[in-house]
Amino acid sequence: MKILIADDSRVMRQIVTRTLRQAGYDGHELIEAEDGAQLVEKTKSESPDLVLSDWNMPNMTGIEALRALRASGNNTPFGFVTSEGTQEMRDTASAGGAIFLIAKPFTAEMFKEQLDSILG
Amino acid sequence: MAPTGDDLQQIAEQVWASYLDTDGEKPLVPLPPDKLSRDVVAGVAVSGAWHGLVLVACSAAASKEAAAALLGMGSDEVSDGDVDDALGELANVIGGNVKSLLPEPCTLGLPEVHNDAASDPWLIGDEICRFEATWMGEPMEVSVLEKPQGGETE
Repeated sequence: MKILIADDSRVMRQIVTRTLRQAGYDGHELIEAEDGAQLVEKTKSESPDLVLSDWNMPNMTGIEALRALRASGNNTPFGFVTSEGTQEMRDTASAGGAIFLIAKPFTAEMFKEQLDSILG
Repeated sequence: MAPTGDDLQQIAEQVWASYLDTDGEKPLVPLPPDKLSRDVVAGVAVSGAWHGLVLVACSAAASKEAAAALLGMGSDEVSDGDVDDALGELANVIGGNVKSLLPEPCTLGLPEVHNDAASDPWLIGDEICRFEATWMGEPMEVSVLEKPQGGETE
């Protein structure tokens, strides 16, 4: 499967990559986006099977990117990996079409819990 | 509703356990260092029902070790950009967790790194809590500053 990791921090993209490996998801093709606009562009051009996105990013936030994708008819499975995990944000993410929200700091177990049904 | 030093300690320890001390060999020791250092200060602004900053400050040596640990490379291999990215992300993750303890609604800004803390107007505010620790023998601190009404957080 192809997974798109979108985060403006290279450090966090690396941590997400490492956590995917620690959670046992080896062998998937990983591609990256540095902001929300790139996320939309790459989701359309590269057709990933899953998008893991930060919320707060320059150019276009994660939720704006998700809404843009859904408005254009793109229904790629989409989950947030973000530093805020309030109920309000979870509700907003869900209403926008996200299937989960993993709050930072996360563990490999938290990834497994959310991703096993998609990648397992 | 306001965060306390104990809240900051709990959040910082979770972040360290998840990202910087995953094997338990580089713990964040909750003992104030002999001397604080603000060589590198990373922060995120919070604005809305509450205005202020969540800051992570440390020595230059600690900032390089943090970047190295997060990127999985040697501390002599990290660039200034890696250090800014790493400290900014630490401030972002800690800030996101602190925000849940602040009045709603608030929004979190993008992380910024400021290396001239003594004379930087962005870093002026009323400190409402702080957690000081020692990491790998180096000073590390997390603090929350409240900005006066209408204070500049952008």
